[in-house]
Amino acid sequence: MNDARSEILKAIGKVSANPTAIAAQAQRLRAGACRPDRVNGPADAVFIERLRSPGVAATAERVATMQDFPDAVRRYLAAQQLTPALALQPHPDLQALDWSGISTHEHIATDEPVAVGLALGGIAETGSLVFHSSPVSPTLFCFLPLHHIVAVRASQIWPWLEDYADAFAGCAQPRNVNLITGASGTTDIEGTLVRGAHGPGWLHAVLIGNAE
Amino acid sequence: MPKCAGLEQNVTLEIRPAENSLPHVALFATCLVNAMRPAVGFAALALLEQAGCRVDVPQGQTCCGQPALNSGDAEGTRQIARRNIEMLEPFDHVVVPSGSCAATIRLHYPELLAHDPAWAARARNLAARTHELLSYLADIRGWLPEGISLEASATYHDSCSGLRELGLKAQPRKLLAAVNDLTLRKLEGEETCCGFGGTFCVKYPAISNAIVDEKAVAVEASGAALLLGGDLGCLLNMAGKLHRRGAAVRAFHAAEILAGMGDAPAIGETP
Amino acid sequence: MNHAPDFDSRVAAALANPTLKVAIERTTGTARTKRAAAMAAWPEFPAARALGRDIKDHVIENLAHYLVAFEKNADAAGTKVHWARTGEEACQIVVDICRKAGAKSVTRAKSMLGEEIGLPHALEAAGLERVETDLAEHIIQLAGDPPSHIVWPALHKTREQVAELFRAHHRDPGAMATVEAMVASARRQLREKFMAADVGISGANFLVADTGAVCTVTNEGNAELTTTPPRIHIVTAGIEKLVPSTAHAMAMLRLLVRSATGAELTQYTTFHNGPKRAQDRDGPDEFHIVLVDAGRTRMLNEGLAEMLRCIRCGACLNHCVVYRQIGGHAYGATYPGPMGSVLTPMLDGLEQAQDLPRACTLNGQCQEVCPVAIPLPTLLRGWREKSWQRGFEPARVRWALALWRFTAMRPRLYEFAGNIGLRIMPLFAHGGWISRMPLAGGWTAHRDMPSPSGGTFLAQYRRRFKK
Repeated sequence: MNDARSEILKAIGKVSANPTAIAAQAQRLRAGACRPDRVNGPADAVFIERLRSPGVAATAERVATMQDFPDAVRRYLAAQQLTPALALQPHPDLQALDWSGISTHEHIATDEPVAVGLALGGIAETGSLVFHSSPVSPTLFCFLPLHHIVAVRASQIWPWLEDYADAFAGCAQPRNVNLITGASGTTDIEGTLVRGAHGPGWLHAVLIGNAE
Repeated sequence: MPKCAGLEQNVTLEIRPAENSLPHVALFATCLVNAMRPAVGFAALALLEQAGCRVDVPQGQTCCGQPALNSGDAEGTRQIARRNIEMLEPFDHVVVPSGSCAATIRLHYPELLAHDPAWAARARNLAARTHELLSYLADIRGWLPEGISLEASATYHDSCSGLRELGLKAQPRKLLAAVNDLTLRKLEGEETCCGFGGTFCVKYPAISNAIVDEKAVAVEASGAALLLGGDLGCLLNMAGKLHRRGAAVRAFHAAEILAGMGDAPAIGETP
Repeated sequence: MNHAPDFDSRVAAALANPTLKVAIERTTGTARTKRAAAMAAWPEFPAARALGRDIKDHVIENLAHYLVAFEKNADAAGTKVHWARTGEEACQIVVDICRKAGAKSVTRAKSMLGEEIGLPHALEAAGLERVETDLAEHIIQLAGDPPSHIVWPALHKTREQVAELFRAHHRDPGAMATVEAMVASARRQLREKFMAADVGISGANFLVADTGAVCTVTNEGNAELTTTPPRIHIVTAGIEKLVPSTAHAMAMLRLLVRSATGAELTQYTTFHNGPKRAQDRDGPDEFHIVLVDAGRTRMLNEGLAEMLRCIRCGACLNHCVVYRQIGGHAYGATYPGPMGSVLTPMLDGLEQAQDLPRACTLNGQCQEVCPVAIPLPTLLRGWREKSWQRGFEPARVRWALALWRFTAMRPRLYEFAGNIGLRIMPLFAHGGWISRMPLAGGWTAHRDMPSPSGGTFLAQYRRRFKK
């Protein structure tokens, strides 16, 4: 195995320039003006617009405070005629809320009908929700449910993909970063888009508060 | 290259009486035009003269070398390239009524001879002086047809080499738009290859056939009476397929139409 | 023609299959339309493409630096990094990890590198239950087919054929009247498999050097369901997959997704970085990355470095007139289409793959749509040149070209020979057209040839101008 490593590095042959020069060159190769014109307003407004765009096809709404989130969930469950029972992401900010009238559990089942989560933030350019895995943000909460209802703070919307990347550059990275852009889909049969392939079939985002 | 095509036209007209100051142009007819469609050569000749050129047809010309180039015979192509470079050295410009042959000289000769100290500069020099006919007329001479009319509907296929290697797209349309009574109809998939590909069409005839069949369907669906293009190889391929399918579409090189030869027999028609 | 045996017969079979043509057009047609719409909304694409090219070239130029940096950062995150010179070596490493863990079942998220190195076969040969989780890979696993496209491996199957397969193989297929019903059936079928697997295997769309993370993109969510529940996650990745940082990965993602499907971002873009952390409720106990060479350093050193830019978006396939007629299987290789015709001679040997670079019209549309500006026609010409030098071009073609070159160097002879031809051809003509002529079967089998008349242009010119 060590043989393989040294042989591959030897076959590449070229001795690289000094790391500082390489880093400087990489820094010059960052996207700027060539990005598509996608962020032309306040990040949180653009974010909602992108979420609702046909390409992302999620549903989205805005409530004033975190305390209003359970009501948004109740409204969603009622509109979708879903049983008021759901897997609640084990995040203290969610657990502190008043979930009366809904039966919540912490363990996510393989065929979980509904899960409620809290995203770390969002990206306006693409309408993506950002999750960092952690003890309070298990990865499977984003992938196992059929309906995924996600709270995201309006103050945590990065304008561009790079703005998100820069916010965590040089920091310790989580085990998993999930950028989630709409519900699960597939075009594998004749190019026809069908939602709910393996991940959630419905994604509902609830923006909390305003950017200020 | 002129900064402004319109100005260039005026300059050309003004200097026209001075025989010596007219650009001395070699018409490189290409082997397909030479053998299969001499009318394209005569059309090119007429157009170049109208555009204020002193035109010669070097009698030693044969082929640009594409069959060897596309078969991977680099050394064979170099031999032919050197011969053509020598033959075409005395001329101000070399004009070719084919995008793919012009691209062979403009792009591939310099590549092939880049490491040959005796020939690299000469190859680059020829490349810089060589032009595809329609772009030469439109961009370099700033010429437009005058007093030509043809009451017909036509559709235009962008041959791949001209389009992607030389940027030939607006020029033929601009020139054809100046032909009175000619209506241009859009060809669905006008930038999609017709399946000719030089030796490809005889090396892989079944694939080539499947491709040109789709092209023929698109040409027929355009509803145009004429199919025009700038590369005879592609035109022979498409016209041959259209004829096999029993379609009534008539095919011409765009130069023939611009030279007022649109009432002459089309490709495959007898006088 | 004396081609290597199988290509012509595979092409003939593909062209004789009308269902295949319909299936190819349904998916590639949609992909072309959606890509065109995405590009129309991105006027800055040419600059973004130049940047994508430069990022990849920068990494390739400093490949050893980035590989070592990636290894160091991955190691710090608790990832075990392995190196494999060949596909066999990579498969062996994967199988050994599975054996050591006493694994019985393996879920796999689509990876073209996995296909390239023969990993599906190696897993089965090792007695492991292999469950393909990408919907298309699931379909072709049931059908026993190889993939026919690098983004849509099952695009050769129509909905009717998929319904038939699912009816035969699924536990609870239901009515299968719609594509939605088929997708729902696959969801039911694979649900328990995700949770029960011992090992999950994925590929990598990008390896991020400054974090040691592996980026995967999917629309279905199957990659995360493959890599999160099992005890072990193994990544196999080509050494060319590196990008300097997460920000650079973002610039590449814009290009990749729009070029592949016309979307702006895949539904699931995930950066995987090491095994389960303390207190994590899910995630694998072990996280392995196998860095695979399998010919890539040879490409670097043998004039194919530009091909290492490839991000496997499939746009060149969707826009290739040849691929669109013959489909993926006719290429007889893991990677079909233009990018495949460049890669396969390197991976499988030029003699065996000699037809692929030749069976191309060099129309250049592949290069035009490539998001990292790979000069595919130039690279294909390079293979043709090697093929010529090594004598693979059929003898008949060599002789014909030699004879043609000999005359092309001698204008009088050229004209003499031409005139003979021009006198003979009209003998076969009817009403201006030739529909059959000896030595012209390649042309006249499918189309007519106009009959020449009146001699060559040069001769007519001399007559007219008395020169």
